[in-house]
Amino acid sequence: MNVREPKLIPSFQRPASSVVIRRVPDYQQDLAAVIQESLLAFDLPVKGKTVLLKANFVGLDPLGVMNTHPAVIAATRECFLRLGAAQVLIGDGPAMDRDTEAIVESVRLREYAGPLARVFVDLNLDDVARVVLKTHASRLKELYLPKSALGVDFLVSMPKLKTHHWAGVTLSLKNMFGIVPGSCYGWPKNVLHWAGIDRAILDINAAARPDFAIVDGIVGMEGNGPIQGAPKASGVLVFGNDPVAVDATCCRVMGLAPERVTYLARAGTLLGHVKADKIQQLGESIASVRMPFAVLQEFRALSEPVSGLE
Amino acid sequence: MARGVQFLRTTQLADGSWPATPAEKSGCWVTSLCCWTLQATGDSAAGVAAGLKWISDDWPRDTSAWQRFLARFSSQNEVHPINNAYRGWGWTPETSSWVEPTSFALIALERAGSDSLPPNSERRRELATGMLYDRICPGGGWNCGNPRVYGVAGEPLVVPTVWALLALRHYPARAENVLSLDWLARCVASIQGGSSLALAKICVEAYGRQWPSDAPRLRDLYERNAFLDSVQATALSCLALGERSHFLASATARPT
Repeated sequence: MNVREPKLIPSFQRPASSVVIRRVPDYQQDLAAVIQESLLAFDLPVKGKTVLLKANFVGLDPLGVMNTHPAVIAATRECFLRLGAAQVLIGDGPAMDRDTEAIVESVRLREYAGPLARVFVDLNLDDVARVVLKTHASRLKELYLPKSALGVDFLVSMPKLKTHHWAGVTLSLKNMFGIVPGSCYGWPKNVLHWAGIDRAILDINAAARPDFAIVDGIVGMEGNGPIQGAPKASGVLVFGNDPVAVDATCCRVMGLAPERVTYLARAGTLLGHVKADKIQQLGESIASVRMPFAVLQEFRALSEPVSGLE
Repeated sequence: MARGVQFLRTTQLADGSWPATPAEKSGCWVTSLCCWTLQATGDSAAGVAAGLKWISDDWPRDTSAWQRFLARFSSQNEVHPINNAYRGWGWTPETSSWVEPTSFALIALERAGSDSLPPNSERRRELATGMLYDRICPGGGWNCGNPRVYGVAGEPLVVPTVWALLALRHYPARAENVLSLDWLARCVASIQGGSSLALAKICVEAYGRQWPSDAPRLRDLYERNAFLDSVQATALSCLALGERSHFLASATARPT
């Protein structure tokens, strides 16, 4: 197996990152056109490669507010194939509900993306390989991670734009919890909570660095996310090849200060850029799409105004 | 079958537990399932006894005396109100109690003969049974183990509900069991996954109830997407459709 070994580069040595914000009012738009145009803003090395779209499938979702929308996933898959990718897989390892098939069917992914045989990977049940963690942010020394995520050429994190009742927000970095296999660590993946959610997010993202992030914020979730919050029609898709910068931008769109999200502040030292002056915003401006998200009392400090923001 | 049993025998760790994958060096929740499986073969008594001892000695960390003392001062008590006097089992050692691994351990312990049960196993069963009833969702059924978070009732899920009901099937008349079975029966018609449907069928029939006439058929779900190539869903379907006398010992009703 060809395991990806991305390098960790201190943020001060990294060039500025680019993040594209697109205004998309609903899921009935020509999403493939919007996504294709956005991906072309980046020189993505995917020709002839295998791409894994790591979606955010949390649970049965009749209102369509909890999981990455299947229309976004299907359109993204189509775009990467157009860009010359040899294979575009879709995968996730839901944290609470063991019946991944039921979730995938409930969100109607098959209707949007076509037959899922040899396309969808249940990362909870995939074959695993041992990964020694080099960042030591948490007390975890190693993790067994799915070979489909480790061996892929290009990994795309595709979360939903949501608040989170333990971490503050759940975006492309937190979404990578879903590659930790339930078969080894359970449902939920409680060992990560005992290791410290904020620190475990860093370890996992340093071990299996997503190459790109696409955040489904067309309809997000505010309040008691990631499951029991309220729908928030935000009307955006956010793209970037620096997931930290993408998440920082999403926070600003949500009216939250990314520097105050514990794991994002730490990620900003090693994995990517949080500071606004290190992120080149393309497409819509943050101010034009900003839509303040309600947060739980515990995270009220995230939404207080920060001087010099933007 | 013989190769499968041999695989389990050779992958047991020295401390009696089983790892989730052969490469791992520490045991976890699958130990209960391995014991349960080898109990059925009848010729792995030593391995099963070692596994059951590991299970009985594996205490979750969240309900240790120290953690319970710390919990008195935690704001999480209001966020996530559960009774930590009860103790079950976690997915991995030294974490928290959850519904499914607790159910698996209870089933493994109940199937063991008295000669292979560690001395503390009866106490563990009492605590774990109490933990399952403490974690029931307000309207019946179970999710992974969070019946209420931030004042909002947790939504039950089919899979943990089935395993909890199977672990507690010796108390068929308890109101919690009846409420949960009613919930399960109501949601059967809308089940969209092979694993959930197969488990629901096993559970409903284990309680002697009639399988709802409007339930989807496993065959139809399989033909839709081949269960996404899930070995687990396929195996559970075989159990649901086949002879189950070796799978679940018949329940003896216990006083509630």
